[in-house]
Amino acid sequence: MVIKPDPNQPGSTHPVRILAYIETKKEEEGKFFFFDIACLGFKKEINLVSLQHQTMLTVSVKWQKKVFESIEIDTSQPPFVFKAQLYDLSGVPPERQKIMVKGGLLKDDADWSTLGLKNGQKLMMMGTADEIVKAPEKGPVFMEDLPEEQQAANLGYSAGLVNLGNTCYMNSTMQCLKSVPELKSELSNYQSARTKDVDQTSHMLTVATRELFSELDKSVKAVAPMPFWMVLQKKYPQFAQLHNGNHMQQDAEECWTQMLYTLSQSLKLPSPSEDPDAVKALFGLNLLNRLHCQESSEESSETESVFSLKCHISHEVNHLHEGLKHGLKGELEKTSPSLGRTAVYVKESLIDSLPRYLTVQFVRFFWKRESNQKAKILRKVDYPLELDIYDLCSEDLRKKLEAPRQKLRDIEGQKLGLQASAKSSSKGDDVKMTDAEGSSNQSGESSTGDQQEGASPHMTGIYDLVSVLTHKGRSADSGHYVAWVKQESGKWVQYDDANTSLQRGEDIIKLSGGGDWHMAYIVMYKARLISM
Amino acid sequence: MAPTPDPNSVGGSAKQDEATLKVPSKDPKKKDEKKDEDLSEEDLELKQNLELYVERVQDPNPDLQKAALESMRQEIRASTSSMTSVPKPLKFLRPHYGTLKAFHETMPNSDLKKYLSDILSVLALTMSAEGERESLSFRLIGTEGDIGSWGHEYVRNLAGEIAQEYTKRQSEEASIDDLMELVQQIVAFHMKHNAETEAVDLLMDVEDLDLLLEHVDKTNFKRTCNYLTSAAKYLPGPDDMLVLDISYMIYMKFEEYPNALQIALFLDNTQYVKQVFTSCTDLLKKKQFCYMIARHGITFDLDDEMVADDDDREALQDIVNNTKLSEGYLTLARDIEVMEAKTPEDIYKAHLLDGRASSGASADSARQNLAATFVNAFVNAGFGQDKLMTVPSDSTTGSSGNWLFKNKEHGKTSAAASLGMIQLWDVDSGLSQLDKYFHSNDNPIIAGALLGVGIVNCGIKNDCDPALALLGDYIDKEDSSVRIGAIMGLGISYAGSQNDQIRSKLSPILNDAKAPLDVIAFASLSLGMIYVGSCNEEVAQSIIFALMDRSEAELGDALTRFLPLGLGLLYLGKQESVEATAEVSKTFNEKIRKYCDMTLLSCAYAGTGNVLKVQDLLAQCGEHLEKGDIHQGPAVLGLAMVAMSEELGVDMEIRSLERMLQYGEQNIRRAVPLALGLLCISNPKVTVMDTLSRLSHDTDSEVAMAAIISLGLIGAGTNNARIAGMLRNLSSYYYKDANLLFCVRIAQGLVHMGKGLLTLSPFHSERFLLSPTALAGIVTLLHACLDMKPIILGKYHYVLYFLVLAMQPRMMLTVDENLKPLSVPVRVGQAVDVVGQAGRPKTITGFQTHSTPVLLAAGERAELATDKYIPLSPILEGFIILKENPDYREE
Repeated sequence: MVIKPDPNQPGSTHPVRILAYIETKKEEEGKFFFFDIACLGFKKEINLVSLQHQTMLTVSVKWQKKVFESIEIDTSQPPFVFKAQLYDLSGVPPERQKIMVKGGLLKDDADWSTLGLKNGQKLMMMGTADEIVKAPEKGPVFMEDLPEEQQAANLGYSAGLVNLGNTCYMNSTMQCLKSVPELKSELSNYQSARTKDVDQTSHMLTVATRELFSELDKSVKAVAPMPFWMVLQKKYPQFAQLHNGNHMQQDAEECWTQMLYTLSQSLKLPSPSEDPDAVKALFGLNLLNRLHCQESSEESSETESVFSLKCHISHEVNHLHEGLKHGLKGELEKTSPSLGRTAVYVKESLIDSLPRYLTVQFVRFFWKRESNQKAKILRKVDYPLELDIYDLCSEDLRKKLEAPRQKLRDIEGQKLGLQASAKSSSKGDDVKMTDAEGSSNQSGESSTGDQQEGASPHMTGIYDLVSVLTHKGRSADSGHYVAWVKQESGKWVQYDDANTSLQRGEDIIKLSGGGDWHMAYIVMYKARLISM
Repeated sequence: MAPTPDPNSVGGSAKQDEATLKVPSKDPKKKDEKKDEDLSEEDLELKQNLELYVERVQDPNPDLQKAALESMRQEIRASTSSMTSVPKPLKFLRPHYGTLKAFHETMPNSDLKKYLSDILSVLALTMSAEGERESLSFRLIGTEGDIGSWGHEYVRNLAGEIAQEYTKRQSEEASIDDLMELVQQIVAFHMKHNAETEAVDLLMDVEDLDLLLEHVDKTNFKRTCNYLTSAAKYLPGPDDMLVLDISYMIYMKFEEYPNALQIALFLDNTQYVKQVFTSCTDLLKKKQFCYMIARHGITFDLDDEMVADDDDREALQDIVNNTKLSEGYLTLARDIEVMEAKTPEDIYKAHLLDGRASSGASADSARQNLAATFVNAFVNAGFGQDKLMTVPSDSTTGSSGNWLFKNKEHGKTSAAASLGMIQLWDVDSGLSQLDKYFHSNDNPIIAGALLGVGIVNCGIKNDCDPALALLGDYIDKEDSSVRIGAIMGLGISYAGSQNDQIRSKLSPILNDAKAPLDVIAFASLSLGMIYVGSCNEEVAQSIIFALMDRSEAELGDALTRFLPLGLGLLYLGKQESVEATAEVSKTFNEKIRKYCDMTLLSCAYAGTGNVLKVQDLLAQCGEHLEKGDIHQGPAVLGLAMVAMSEELGVDMEIRSLERMLQYGEQNIRRAVPLALGLLCISNPKVTVMDTLSRLSHDTDSEVAMAAIISLGLIGAGTNNARIAGMLRNLSSYYYKDANLLFCVRIAQGLVHMGKGLLTLSPFHSERFLLSPTALAGIVTLLHACLDMKPIILGKYHYVLYFLVLAMQPRMMLTVDENLKPLSVPVRVGQAVDVVGQAGRPKTITGFQTHSTPVLLAAGERAELATDKYIPLSPILEGFIILKENPDYREE
């Protein structure tokens, strides 16, 4: 056994780091072991035996940005000894050292003489004591590897629907309805086994709707709603009408109404105790109609339950709110019990109960008597992202709304107070117009309201736009229906049959008509709730 | 209205002649007399005098004759010749030309006849019919005296006639000695009188440029050489080489070594380069030469003949080896304050895209992460720090390998190699950063580490040859991804070195029957790069055999295209030298034959501007192919490669590519955007930008992808806001198409390459020199882009790293005599072409004054705005050593 001190480490500078090379001749010839004596803790016991160095070379080694000048190489010793020297200088373990000599690596068992080293030669060493990079135990999951439904979830919105031949009215209606999460959950609770009270076709349609919605959620590519389409035709044969061998263009409003009717029929029954009519609770609103006959000054009032409000478009109507008011006031001829003949009655309606989702239909199509055809009103009617229908409500309802509205105003006031730049723009106005950013903030708030459903959410009479069904084209029997739906993330997505694309909030309110661009036909608002 | 002299009137007595000859001269005189009314008195007098002389010349008395001739001569010479009008004496003598000519023929040989010949020669300037060359013929029989005394216009005319006469005599193989004597005189005259361009033109016409050497002097050699070098671009070979040779000699004669070196580099003549070193005695100047060689990117070893002192030689060799490039680049970066690392998100600027930006996906997309890897690598290239790969390992997010493992399989290769790109040119820290990946047990990571080593060493030479030492052992490993990593790394780090040791390692792979195709393809490419433009026979042989051994199926593979490309790179810019190999290529399987043919042709004539080859290639593109031949792609690229050498060619090529877009087949349309990208690389011309922007929405997604990548190429390293905006919009337009989005991301990375401090242009030194390795890197990428799906969009995306060969800082960094950075004011402006202009014209226009270091955009030139220092190179690009001006006085 030969022990020698490291030639570059005189004891004075590093008293504890003396290396010993121990050569074992018997068992493992030619192999060196080195011990850091400091670690082993018997530094005092070992007598250092210095060896004669017959052939010493001086080289400099460059490592990273440092240069170790004048390192002596004992060419009678294998290069491993040299590496051990470098270990002490750099802290790089010999097995990690790569020493480059003229386009080659210095091998542990190389012969110095064949390398042709010269005195003063510069060598380069590569190597670090860094931890070796290990792959994380749990590798990342890549989108490309995910099953399709998860990819859809990542996309942030669901797939489009394939047009099966003039079925854009159906596709856009279903996309709008699908945007109501409560309806989806009601559907998923729906029992697959038919109960007696529902007729066969309604049941089938309800199941088909449920299937369609879940398929849409799973898929990345556009879905062909074939089964649903078959069932719909069966239930409502008018949708199966053919014209020149093709399916006819249909009215989306009809489809919408029929779908809601069917669903309200089939979803009402299962749990009669708590929620008698789920669909009605979601979409239905009660109107308080007051009939007044000017001739006889008779008055009568009745309540009526409807699924949507109508926005009548006349020459004075420029805004949704005006149209709604217009729609709630009307004249009708009726036999007057007091006069005993038909008389003109003025009908005024007020909203008596508010739905979670307020549907408004723009009455753009009407029957033109003179030309005997369905015509379309192209007039531009603006609609807001945030709708306040307080003044359309009945007295009773207004009273109920007072407190929640006050609270909402307080919260908003606080928010505005925080935002120095905020303007007092929308105050005192019946209908508030806010920019896209503001509306997304508020939608965030409405969703928090949803979460606190247990804590008795209250209606405020304020609604946020969530989906728009538009019609493009000059006449009622032609053109194209497209759905524009706001996602939970606050982004708007356009569902043009199989194509989906992201849209900006400001582009949505541009769908108000007045040209040949898509114009809103049915809009759906979601109530802004507040917990008291 | 010129009066035709009557040649038949000769004969009889002189008096009779006089009488008969007077008649024709009278007629015009009458007409003239009407005009004479307009003449001033002086002119009238001059006219009468001249008429008198003409008469006297024909006088039998020799003394009178002589006196008349003298006076006539006086008059002609005294007239101030202007370019716009015929001098008066000449005008008045016009009617008598015939008379004198006829008389001249009758004269016996004598001095007087010679005298008259001189005068007739001058008169012929205005009188002689086109193509008669009378001026010259009279000149040749006249006195051999000073021709300059007759004025510039006369000499110029004479020169033109000599050129015509020369071609005539050449075809008749007649003697030209008398002509050459005249040429001597004319050249001497021109050179003395600021008409260097005309002297050069004449000498080029008579093919005797050597004469120039005798006549250039200190005052005119610069203009002469300037004209010579720029004329060389338009000359057919081998004349261009000759012209450059001459200008090299002139520069050497006047010890204008930097220019001489430039030409030596252009000629790729190592002997000349050596001569520059041995002739120059100033060590500081030699340092500047080294910087120039380093920028050109060739391997060059100094010997003791060039630099005697060992220490000096080492210092100089260090400069040639580019070891200080990283330092200089970082100095620039610190000065411009762009050291802060940028993330891919900083480049994408998705917040500027409202609404359409993809919603925050919860899972990583491997494709998008790979794109981010490349963007990160390109943007932070050479800065040594970034926010993905070099974040310290003890940060809260976990170990530094994190980003690496956000890439999938082969993506990890590119991710590991990106570390090499970030540490570009800084071999020491680069190697230590890469070290940890060598010990990984994941093959793609090892491959990436190997490639990274190659990238770090790109353009940097080191005595220890670290790249060879580290990569050598991995060439013959089992795993082909590891092998490719090592092979490609060697190709990048030793490009242009012609290293025999590597050849002996790589050549066997080519002809190894067991080696997979991709390994062979990359080996061929690497050999092509290492031996770029060397015409090395042995390498060519190996590649040819490898090509012949390919099976039918392998020839159809997209990667096979790298074999002919490797072969082509061997002959990059070497023109005729390719012919033998091109002949051999005709025997290849027809599937690859034409592809090989086009590649060889385009590489061999790359950067030459050879019009004939452009026509050849155009003819190939004009064919309408029925089945899927792919050779038109390289032909279109070839058009750009050949034409890219000078501005005019580039403009013409852009126009003809536009035609091809309209009439070409699918495979041509796919290559056109790439060709445009090559023509305007790192030079975002608005017209090209618009064309590419249009094509980026093409219905053929291959065309769109090529156009998007090319948008990146033309904007590479410019931070061009317009292209950045276009790409941002494209990223939202294509947000659903993973492939196109990947291309958009890559292009975005390219535009912001090196945070705007780098250029991809293979041209440097005022667009005069073409770096062969840089061109090789770009051409390789473009060939890969001809078929994106299997290569860049497949698992060989790391071919994008071949661009590193062309990456150079677009800076001007002034250093003092100790090579420490020195800040001085400079004017930077649009370069003006001053070739052939008289005096000392302004070389830049619309300049701004900055202090160094500064960035130079395409087409920009810098000049010192102070007299305090003298730059050691006239071309202010890259590293410039400044010497204190000994004559400088403060204010």
